[in-house]
Amino acid sequence: MSKWYIEKGDQGDIVLSTRIRLARNIDEFPFPAKLDAAGKNAVNSAIRTVLFENDCKDFSYIEMKDLSRVQAVSLAERHLISPEFAAKKDGSALVISEDESVSIMLCEEDHIRLQVMKAGLALEEAYDIADKLDNMLGAKLNYAFDERIGYLTQCPTNLGTAMRASVMLHLPALTRCGQMARLSNTVSKLGLTIRGAYGEGSQPKGDVYQISNQITLGITEETAIANLKSIVLQLVAQERAAAAEIIKKPAEEDKMFRALGILKNARLLSTDEFMELASLVRLGAARGIFEIPIEKINELIVSMQPATVTAANEQADSPSARDAYRAKTVREALE
Amino acid sequence: MLCQNCGKNEATTHIKQIINGDMAESHLCSDCAAHLGYSDMFSGFGLNLSEFFGGFLGDVKPAVTAGKSPRCPKCGTSFDEIVRDGRVGCADCYRTFYDKLLPSIQRIHGKIKHSGKTVASVPVQPKAETKEEKIEKLKAAMSEAVASQNFEDAAKIRDEIKALEGGESNE
Repeated sequence: MSKWYIEKGDQGDIVLSTRIRLARNIDEFPFPAKLDAAGKNAVNSAIRTVLFENDCKDFSYIEMKDLSRVQAVSLAERHLISPEFAAKKDGSALVISEDESVSIMLCEEDHIRLQVMKAGLALEEAYDIADKLDNMLGAKLNYAFDERIGYLTQCPTNLGTAMRASVMLHLPALTRCGQMARLSNTVSKLGLTIRGAYGEGSQPKGDVYQISNQITLGITEETAIANLKSIVLQLVAQERAAAAEIIKKPAEEDKMFRALGILKNARLLSTDEFMELASLVRLGAARGIFEIPIEKINELIVSMQPATVTAANEQADSPSARDAYRAKTVREALE
Repeated sequence: MLCQNCGKNEATTHIKQIINGDMAESHLCSDCAAHLGYSDMFSGFGLNLSEFFGGFLGDVKPAVTAGKSPRCPKCGTSFDEIVRDGRVGCADCYRTFYDKLLPSIQRIHGKIKHSGKTVASVPVQPKAETKEEKIEKLKAAMSEAVASQNFEDAAKIRDEIKALEGGESNE
């Protein structure tokens, strides 16, 4: 089955993916930080029982202790689990669907972290899937809930709906125009937060950003999603306008063609260099300068992350071997 | 374990980072962690740890410190521990310390009243009723309607029962 991120979705020239994440806890059990491995296993088996009673056939159940470090980090690179969860061992488990669009972290920060991913901008669709799975689990599990402050979570920042909706955006033109600091300031005033999707810092790798809702209490899921969607559509419009200007400049056009030249010919590619060049090539592809399917670049951005490279090819277990493998894979993909 | 930065205090903050696919671990005391700009689980949500702790501590009178702090009857977590870790122990902690937590919750979210999905709004999946059970229920409803002299309803229910029973005889 092909993975969800290989498709191109709505607003796909700029929006890479959409994610909805719900945090839930079971009332009878203390939150994960207060549980030992045996306690966590009891929580996990209660959740597992409900899931598999409900005929979730294409889900697999993975104990985190059974994964190698490379496999665990690769899951985090694909945004299927959190980096913190990748480091967990005893008592943490992951439920994942075959196409990797649904992943449920068990005993991460909360008992349940249910996550649905979709290609492109698809907030309502992703929420719909998450909501149905949540109903299925909630019908059998006694969720920790308080009428006044909503779903109870280990960290008070998630109280209320306990829903985090995020959209991953490729914003190379706005980044080049130096607009990101201003935009990030503006969206924070609207109760949203924007940050680099691959590594923090002033200039995120590959100009890929993640924008998500910050407030979860006192706002319904529908309103939070509608707010986020309207801001994302504005960012998309601004990025398109900025990109239309940028590609007119000969110096910028030159950069895009050089980037493609290097990706097609390099024998060694580090992650950082790849991300920088892939961003330029993606900009060219999104604006119709290159006839390269954008899904192909999206897939490379996901699959060329270091641990994911090593997970796919055991021999690529050192930085130099990874760089050679990455260069070869990228060359072949762009031929 | 001692803090890797100052080597003096007990390390209470454990940071795992993935840098180019390699996992790096650091163990720091809370002072050094704050000094080095590491914030723990709040960092992902754009909240600064020290700000959050400051917010929490602002609500706690200094008199209510170590030892005397009440504990959650279910998981035994004290309010001081919640303040220190920024983590709540269990669902009952919220009920036990509701009033004390509320000012911090308001500071984080700006609001203190949940709106949105509730556990009650989750549609309960009823077990499929057998035909006999349905008829039994309708008969009870019919008797009730007759008893309250609600003959119109009773007649409707009678027709429903007939339809159900008729369906059976056709099979």
